[in-house]
Amino acid sequence: MIIQTREISKRFGEIIALDGVNFEIEAGEVVVIIGPSGSGKSTLLRCLNGLEKTDSGEIIIDGIKLDKDKSSIHKVREELGMVFQEFNLFPHLSVLGNLCLAQEAVRKRSKPDAEKISLELLKKVGLLDKKDSFPNQLSGGQQQRVAIARALAMNPRIMLFDEPTSALDPEMIGEVLEVMKTLAKEGMTMLVVTHEIGFAREVAKRIIFMDQGKIIEEGKTEDILNSPQNPRTIAFLSKVLK
Amino acid sequence: MFLREIINWISFQLHILKNVLIFLAPAIPMTIKLTLVAFALALILGLLIGLARLSQRGLIKVFSKIYVDVLRGIPLLVQIFFIYFGLGKILNLDRFLAGVIAIAVCYSAYLAEIIRAGIQAIHKGQYQAALSLGMTPYQTMRYVILPQSLRIIVPPVANEFIASLKDSSLVSIIGLRELTRAGREYYSQYFVDFQTWLVVGIIYLIMTLSLSRLVAYLEKKYRVHGFGIPH
Repeated sequence: MIIQTREISKRFGEIIALDGVNFEIEAGEVVVIIGPSGSGKSTLLRCLNGLEKTDSGEIIIDGIKLDKDKSSIHKVREELGMVFQEFNLFPHLSVLGNLCLAQEAVRKRSKPDAEKISLELLKKVGLLDKKDSFPNQLSGGQQQRVAIARALAMNPRIMLFDEPTSALDPEMIGEVLEVMKTLAKEGMTMLVVTHEIGFAREVAKRIIFMDQGKIIEEGKTEDILNSPQNPRTIAFLSKVLK
Repeated sequence: MFLREIINWISFQLHILKNVLIFLAPAIPMTIKLTLVAFALALILGLLIGLARLSQRGLIKVFSKIYVDVLRGIPLLVQIFFIYFGLGKILNLDRFLAGVIAIAVCYSAYLAEIIRAGIQAIHKGQYQAALSLGMTPYQTMRYVILPQSLRIIVPPVANEFIASLKDSSLVSIIGLRELTRAGREYYSQYFVDFQTWLVVGIIYLIMTLSLSRLVAYLEKKYRVHGFGIPH
């Protein structure tokens, strides 16, 4: 198991964001998390890489237990790449600068090494010609592909995607999903929060349905999509699929 | 006849203005030195206090808030008196040092607020992206947040710099021989008030105007990339 969580809970004041969440992910698996907004999906991803601290429960990533001390959070973050809904590229750096910064600062790669790796990844996401552009010169879809390349440049073992296509215009969703499908085919372990049921159907091995901070139902993709058991899953899917 | 009197009067006035200028000129470097040293110190202090204002730790946060509130709430002139006559007697500060400390401490409070606001203006997602890439909080601040804040911070900081140049004239009150003090000395020797303060004012004006021109030029030249309207 590359990711294991036991009974993790998290509240924001009165609001319960996560309420005893348990799940496991195997290396190489692609798992999609679906659920209505406010169900705790994004909070769950943020807890996994320590951007949010859980109130209770246990998270173990690739054998490293995530706890209060900073070194474990650091080690875990080295294993996890994260892609955000709003891309969060660094606007003051060029595309190449975005990809190189953490490689040099965290992985301690030399500038030529970092650039070489960056250029290979930009080629992979089809943006080699944009290496000297700045983020505000790119479309949303291009920015998100750069963000994926930036995360991959750190050689993560797992990629977390937090609604990666929700902020995109419809015509740009496809290009981002294509990159993600390629990654999945290469065997990357991926945990994806998304409303793109088509993507889930095509690449996800499993689907987790969350509501009100709890995992309501999980199972093989075709089982969840074709014959959901829980009434809440049925209600949600009927709205999303209609 | 009449024309000749006018010409005489003008040449006499010019003669006085020239004398004032010759008397004042040696004091200009002190005004510049005082402002530069004090403002450099204010920037360092302001950055530290500004970061302290954003600290998660209660004590640091409270202390820095008190520092800013107290120093912003007391006139600079009173702070100069307090530091020179109050602390100066105990710590044996000379006029220059007392003036530097007073301006630096006072302006650090204003700069701290500007720097704090500049850092807070950066979107939360920038921290999350940097941290998720494994960067430390220090690296995040140094390579991701501060370079972006700089663009927001620089114009108001430049304004404060110009203000501090003008406020350095207050240090004349404790007898440091900078521009304004030299003006007072000239006046008390020759009793020409209008011409003296006219020249003093014009010298300040030349310095502040050329500074604001310089700032505008630098802002244009070192505009941080990647903001604004896409081209």
